[in-house]
Amino acid sequence: MSAPRTARRLNRLLATLPWLIANPGSSVDEVVERFDYDRDQLAKDLATVFVCGLPGYGPGDLMVAYIDEDEVTVEMADYFARPVRLTAIEALGLLAAGRALQSSGQGPPALDSAVEKLQRVVLPDADEAVVVELPEPPLVPELRAAAESGSVVTVEHSSVATGVVTIRDIEPWAVFSTLGNWYVSAWCRSAVAERVFRIDRIRTAEVTGETFAPKEEPPKPEVRYTPNEDDTQVTIRLSERAGWVAEHYPVDIIDVTDDVTTIRMSVSDPAVAARLLVRLGDSAELVDGFNVAETVAELRNRILHRYEIVD
Amino acid sequence: MQKVIERILNLLAFLLTADHPVSAEEIRYTVAGYDDKGDEAFRRTFERDKDLLRQIGVPLRLVATDVFEVEHGYVVPQAEYALDDPGLTEEERTALALAVQAVRFGGQPSGPDAILKLGGAIAADSVVPVGADLGAEADMVAEVFSAVADRRSATFDYRGRTRVVHAYGLVHRRGHWYLVGPEAGDIVKVYRLDRAENLHVGDRDAFERPSGFRARDAVATMPWDQGTEALRATIHFDPEVAWIAERELGVSESVTRFEDGGIDVVLEVGAVPPLLSWLIGFEDRAVILEPAHLINQFVEFVRSGS
Repeated sequence: MSAPRTARRLNRLLATLPWLIANPGSSVDEVVERFDYDRDQLAKDLATVFVCGLPGYGPGDLMVAYIDEDEVTVEMADYFARPVRLTAIEALGLLAAGRALQSSGQGPPALDSAVEKLQRVVLPDADEAVVVELPEPPLVPELRAAAESGSVVTVEHSSVATGVVTIRDIEPWAVFSTLGNWYVSAWCRSAVAERVFRIDRIRTAEVTGETFAPKEEPPKPEVRYTPNEDDTQVTIRLSERAGWVAEHYPVDIIDVTDDVTTIRMSVSDPAVAARLLVRLGDSAELVDGFNVAETVAELRNRILHRYEIVD
Repeated sequence: MQKVIERILNLLAFLLTADHPVSAEEIRYTVAGYDDKGDEAFRRTFERDKDLLRQIGVPLRLVATDVFEVEHGYVVPQAEYALDDPGLTEEERTALALAVQAVRFGGQPSGPDAILKLGGAIAADSVVPVGADLGAEADMVAEVFSAVADRRSATFDYRGRTRVVHAYGLVHRRGHWYLVGPEAGDIVKVYRLDRAENLHVGDRDAFERPSGFRARDAVATMPWDQGTEALRATIHFDPEVAWIAERELGVSESVTRFEDGGIDVVLEVGAVPPLLSWLIGFEDRAVILEPAHLINQFVEFVRSGS
């Protein structure tokens, strides 16, 4: 028996008992729905409650819990009349989720008052102290609607890696946000492959009028980096000032000394590594990577050229 | 598991009704489910059970029972044990239940177990398809949250130095979590939590939060807002990238549009390095028009790694 499962079962039971005590005669249906119970499990849990109680463990010491004619009864359990307080992570999870949904503009009307009441108990003296923002950029609602209705969409997309603009027909599956960016996962008809697009790099999105059969099991909405055989492997030495790169990007750390971290990353185009290296200035040094040094030099020259400087 | 649940319900019922701190020994010989175990088995079982209770939020504490602090006993104070009920309506519970489905935290749902404590929820017809993740450092963020809620200080390593910060506020913006607060006697600063290490929090009520403190105002909207440089920069974006720049900047900045689709944007800059880093993302399709010293700084920076 794994501890998380036991903890969840115990939590569910200790949350359900106060409700049953406060609402005598609740129906099994309601309890099952409200507390996300499996019917058999509810019966089992109530049977367990029936044999527990206070030392002595005689008829007057044990709790009473049973189902009769589809009604649930719990008595003699007043010490479990109140739910357990929220843990810090639960309070934060609720408040953060509520605030995030509020700021997305997608929340139901009762969310505002719910968040306000919740906040009054978990942050009684600090209503401006915790802020969670999850604003929705342009095109998120349109792409979400297209995913829901199964509409094919023509997008004008600018590649994050190369800046190349393409027009593609996509079958959008899901819109999601992670680490501050919004994405749409889709079947890309132009690439004839699954793709995940950053929505802030989609300039326009027009439904074509054509529909597609929604995928039965769309892949989990997440940004997967799928290494490709055409990828460039790049090795970079980071000084202490650039050490954050090792945590911020999906990289392999291959060596760490006192003040130098050596990382290896896989990039779809040398331009990605080149921008990173120019951005890091003298706090990073390229060790190895096919065509990367040339791309860095070329990028530097192109930028400096705008200022009419030729090195 | 049946036995575990039984034993823990008996233990918790006993602790909640005991009128004195109870020793492990007393628990062993009084509470059903422990009495049949040998010394070592009892010790292990009791440790596991305590962990389980604490995991779900039960405030189980060991207190001294004599003035010399030789004897100790366990207590679960009723007042602290019970949920401080926010008094949600059915609609409000359902709204929060939707929120925790829509928003994940470190890949996990952000609080289905907590919704049960609030009285569960009747499933709503509409499913909110936001599908957002608030990042991977959920445990650390929760620690900081408790520091903010209980006015504790947070101690952590940051950029090569250990800081002790009064946790005034917590902000999630642009995909990152920030702790906002001052070190003792210093000004309020902002710390990105994914760059903090070895974080732990101190005792409650360690400081007074200034009245009217707004965490929102402390964290920069754009990374170059934070800082004291106070310079005004004009930047040109070529037509191919102008729309990307405008989206990232939002609508508040002053923009001049050209016929070819290019734009000039005037930015108030508090800190130069983050601005330069952002501009490099546009490669050679963005160019600083003024001031001259910013151009020099940029050129020097672009050359610096070669």
